[in-house]
Amino acid sequence: MEETISLKEIFETLKKRLAMILLITLVATAASGLISYMFLTPIYQSSTQILVNQSNENQQVDFNQVRTNVEMINTYRVIIKSDNILEKVQNKLDSNESVSQLDSMIQVNSEQNSQVFTVSVQHSDPEMAATIANTVASTFESEIKEIMKLNVSNVTILSKADTPMSPIKPNPMLNMAIAFVVGLMAGVGLAFLLEYLDNTVKTEQDIEKQLELPVLGVIAEMNEKQIQQSTHMSKVRAGSERFEA
Amino acid sequence: MKRKHKKAVREFKERSLITHYNSKSPISEQYRTIRSNIHFSSIDTEYRTLMVTSSGPGEGKSTTTANLAVVMAQQGKRVLLIDADLRKPTAHYTFRVSNAKGLTNVLTRQVNLLDAVSLTEVDRLHILPSGPVPPNPAELLGSRMMQELTKEALDEFDMVIFDTPPVLAVTDAQILANTCDGVVLVVGSGVTEKDAAQKSKELLVAAKAKLLGVVLNRKKMDDKNYYYYYGN
Repeated sequence: MEETISLKEIFETLKKRLAMILLITLVATAASGLISYMFLTPIYQSSTQILVNQSNENQQVDFNQVRTNVEMINTYRVIIKSDNILEKVQNKLDSNESVSQLDSMIQVNSEQNSQVFTVSVQHSDPEMAATIANTVASTFESEIKEIMKLNVSNVTILSKADTPMSPIKPNPMLNMAIAFVVGLMAGVGLAFLLEYLDNTVKTEQDIEKQLELPVLGVIAEMNEKQIQQSTHMSKVRAGSERFEA
Repeated sequence: MKRKHKKAVREFKERSLITHYNSKSPISEQYRTIRSNIHFSSIDTEYRTLMVTSSGPGEGKSTTTANLAVVMAQQGKRVLLIDADLRKPTAHYTFRVSNAKGLTNVLTRQVNLLDAVSLTEVDRLHILPSGPVPPNPAELLGSRMMQELTKEALDEFDMVIFDTPPVLAVTDAQILANTCDGVVLVVGSGVTEKDAAQKSKELLVAAKAKLLGVVLNRKKMDDKNYYYYYGN
């Protein structure tokens, strides 16, 4: 069946089901807000920064040296998350996290061309997050000498991880915003679906197109105002009304 | 409780007979438009027996029939409204007449037509209610007696209008459509399915009915669509 969709019809559809669309949007937003605030465990993140820098005798900055250090970071990222380090961390922490759990908590990020990289730990307990981050950093700092066969450790902890105040996940505002958009889209989609499934005659055009019969007339649906008006009229009715058309 | 019910009944009545209670309202004007259009389509043959039906229940057959009868009576015609919906009769509620004697009594020759007909509060509009609900409506409506009754009614009245059961539910409407001069199909906006309307049309055409056209009922309109020509 060939059907053209006009912009006006689209607006009509949306206007007709506006209440439903708004309701779905509101419910989705509220539900996501509720889940974010009440049910999801907040995750805290704590980070520590580590500088990679070889001590060099002469006072000049050697660019090759810097380059080497920057490229070393890629290696260090792997080392930090290696079982060798993590097992030691686990021993020091004497907590019940397994190595693989620790592995999934830890993220190593580095800026491009910078000798500093960041170790971030995400944990549901803020103090634990800081403790793990610091333990990882200190373990790494002491172990790196042995692993890389260096005389002196070439990493320095720039900033210690401290206990975060507010969780980074979940972000209720973001979740609600996403739910709002998704709810709005679902509502609009449902409105169009209902409109499409509604196979009833609505306008004179439908009748002429479908039945190919003349439309003798259109009776509007009475609204409350008119019903009241007609009942009011009937009370002040003066005898029988003659209407000669 | 009882008073509340009474009030509801009264309001329902006034709502269904808007052409009588509020003849200046836009809706009454819309009924007069329908009247005119029926009149225009009867240029060659004068339609004296009209039948109003719809594909399913709850599309506004009885309301349309009653108001159409009222506006025709207001035009100065002597009109008889016959409630041929023997399965769910409503006309006696609308016009508040007794349903003790009616169409079924006349068809079974218990009473004469004119004894069963009562005048309504609308001038020149008479009504023949359904009478007691019979077990075999279709046979009664298809009987020879029904044709005689219609003939007799036309001697007495200018117009005879039938209220009928839905086309798709039972065959009564088809039987009557075959004998009436014109058939008006009521379609409820947002109520009637397109396929149902299409099927009704086919059934009526199969019954050799003269389909005058369609009345689109219950159309949702904004207030601004109204044309208060007479002002209220």
